[in-house]
Amino acid sequence: MWLMIIFLGLGIGLGLLSDFSIPALYSNYLSLAILAAFDTLLGGIRAHFEHVFNQFIFVTGFFFNITLAIFLTFIGAQLGVDLYLAAVFAFGWRLFQNIAIIRRRILDRWQQQKTLKKKSQSTLSIEKSKLIDK
Amino acid sequence: MHVSGKHVILSLVLFVFGYLVAVSYEQAQNLLEDEEVSVEEWDRAFYYRQQLIDFEERNHALEQQINDLRVELLQTETSLSEEQQNLMSAVDLKRELQAYVGELAIEGPGVFITLNDQDYVPDRANVNDYIVHDRHVQLVINELLSAGAEAIEINGQRLLHNSHVFCVGPVITVDGTTYPAPFTIEAIGNPDTLLQSLELDQGVIDQLVNERIEVEYGEKHVEMTPQ
Repeated sequence: MWLMIIFLGLGIGLGLLSDFSIPALYSNYLSLAILAAFDTLLGGIRAHFEHVFNQFIFVTGFFFNITLAIFLTFIGAQLGVDLYLAAVFAFGWRLFQNIAIIRRRILDRWQQQKTLKKKSQSTLSIEKSKLIDK
Repeated sequence: MHVSGKHVILSLVLFVFGYLVAVSYEQAQNLLEDEEVSVEEWDRAFYYRQQLIDFEERNHALEQQINDLRVELLQTETSLSEEQQNLMSAVDLKRELQAYVGELAIEGPGVFITLNDQDYVPDRANVNDYIVHDRHVQLVINELLSAGAEAIEINGQRLLHNSHVFCVGPVITVDGTTYPAPFTIEAIGNPDTLLQSLELDQGVIDQLVNERIEVEYGEKHVEMTPQ
């Protein structure tokens, strides 16, 4: 866990420190790559909650999605059609879906924990009363 | 805490993700800054452009002024040259007039005619009939003038518009100066015309010869000195 946070911080720091400016012409590519990365990350989290997380799928999905998004944008730019909008739309939609599923999973888990607590409390109280009765 | 392959892979992905996000963020900030600067620069560009336009307008006005002044200068020069030409023509006129009134030395083609008293005078004859009189000289002068002579002199004395020639005994007075015979009359003008008018039948020469005067005439390049 700590390793992941450290690497995230490292990436952000490197990105901020590096004086790497992209021409305005290619800002589309960058934004789409970020969107793809974000989508994949959220997809990973969702998979984790659904207990179907596969690291191989996750890593290949991460890089493949980014590559595909950039490729789509490139093709669109070459053809003069705003194909990147399709990618934006797809990724955005999936983003919301993933977030919604994650939220539901978290809520489910929270409620489960709550009921579990209640159950345990009630059992405890029952035991207590039994004890008192005795 | 043990490091599993899963964690490493996640770290790598997060690293790439973080890097991308950071770069994008920086890019966005740069764009924003650019836009802010561009607004400022637009203002500045507008200001300088306005200044440039003002300068150009002023230049234009000044150029027009220069053109106006040039035209004025040209006009002045033209009028000056005209004045100069007028002056030149005036000077020429003055020279001509001076030449006519004998203030300048003049020369040119012309004729001469010499009148002399007859050497031989018969004993019984009147001497008066054998010498040159003022009327002979006047005759020659009138003939020459009517033939277009431009300047005439008698024995080196210029004949002017108010000159008078008259006879005092054996001498002739021209403007108060007396000259004895022979009298040489010189005239500047077209020699052919002058000679032909002198040689006319019953003309001046014939009359003079009839009145027994020795006449000698011919073409000559005449030079006259100012009086």
